[in-house]
Amino acid sequence: MKLLKLSFIALGILAMASCSKYPTASSRLLEDLAVLTQYDVNTNFGLYKTYSIVDSIYYITGKDSSMVLTPDAKAVLNQIIGNMNARGFKKVAKSAKPDLGINVAAIKTTTVTVYYPGWYWGYPGYYPAGWWGYGSSYYYPYYPTYYSSYSAGTLVIEMVNFKEVTDNGQVPVVWDVFIRGLLTGTHTTSDVTGSIDQAFTQTPAIKTNLP
Amino acid sequence: MKKIFLFLMVGLLLAGTVNAQDEGTKSTFGYKPSSYYSFGWNTLWSIGDFNKWIGNGSPAGFNLGGRYFISGSNFAAGFNIQWQRVWQDYPAQTFYGDNGLALTAMNYRFTWMVPFQAAIDYYFMPSKMISPYISLGIGGDYMEHHLLIQEYDIYKTYWDFSLTPEIGAIIKFGAFSNWGANVAFNYKWTTNKIDFSNGTSFKNLQMLQLRVGLCYFLR
Repeated sequence: MKLLKLSFIALGILAMASCSKYPTASSRLLEDLAVLTQYDVNTNFGLYKTYSIVDSIYYITGKDSSMVLTPDAKAVLNQIIGNMNARGFKKVAKSAKPDLGINVAAIKTTTVTVYYPGWYWGYPGYYPAGWWGYGSSYYYPYYPTYYSSYSAGTLVIEMVNFKEVTDNGQVPVVWDVFIRGLLTGTHTTSDVTGSIDQAFTQTPAIKTNLP
Repeated sequence: MKKIFLFLMVGLLLAGTVNAQDEGTKSTFGYKPSSYYSFGWNTLWSIGDFNKWIGNGSPAGFNLGGRYFISGSNFAAGFNIQWQRVWQDYPAQTFYGDNGLALTAMNYRFTWMVPFQAAIDYYFMPSKMISPYISLGIGGDYMEHHLLIQEYDIYKTYWDFSLTPEIGAIIKFGAFSNWGANVAFNYKWTTNKIDFSNGTSFKNLQMLQLRVGLCYFLR
């Protein structure tokens, strides 16, 4: 009888243990790097040839921000340049009136729990549209996908289109890249540069048709 | 010790004889229950297309059943209600969404199911302590298929029609005990499906299941 009771208790425990609909989420869900990209499907990237990129990475930690050009930051910028060149685009100086511009920011952590793409535009020092010599602000020509938390460490790459500045001076962001998970798990510089390659791989539309 | 064992055996035999005589009886030793209820621990292995979605087996499940013997036959009819979850994590894959959206990340998948089935069983020796049986379950399942990518939880829910042929046995703990065990193995075919926008699309989910549990018999 005792064995019977024990069997019942054991079965009950097993049943209760399996009662939760959601299994314990794998920690790798947040540790592994994730690459989220979104581009404006109405932009024909084949019509553009030249681009310019910022010369350092805008680094946001909490309420502070700064410009950094560490070896890791250089590796990130060079990887973006390499991919753009491989897609047929030509890098030019900001003063040469490029067709496209590329902003890069790294976000360590923020005090906000809800994040919408573009909130970092308000940080002092972030490359404003005026820094490029065009318009007064940015906008998304599509409804952007957002993350609800930014504590994982994120690299943000944004491509802006200077050929479609609106009459009221807004510059469209035609490609958004979020590489997330920099501060979770252990990641090397090559993991991050590999993720930049992946961002281009999953966006084949970014390619020029011009010679 | 031997004396105690002998005493118990003789007592058990006498009790069995008396009980059998009282019931006036189809069996000289044991009884055929009028019905029984079972509660079991269920382990599932996905097969076919379902195995491409989640390749792991899963012991996270339980089953509640009831059977009512049809008078004068070895047939019993009843029901099964089950609860089951299977899950697995996968390395980075790329998922494409609408409006130029793409996401590459490792993903974590799980399917949660709640089947409801009517069943008809045939018991080969319902009066014996061990009675093998064959069974066919017919019913439906509610399934949720979840794809977890970072903080995103993309899921689809479906109801289906399902068939479950089963072999198993009920084992009484004693010739006249009201308690026993149930061991069963079944194959399940469903019309359930999985379809996500990254091209993941599977139909007619199938699975194998092993169930071990306890039964309470009513005379």
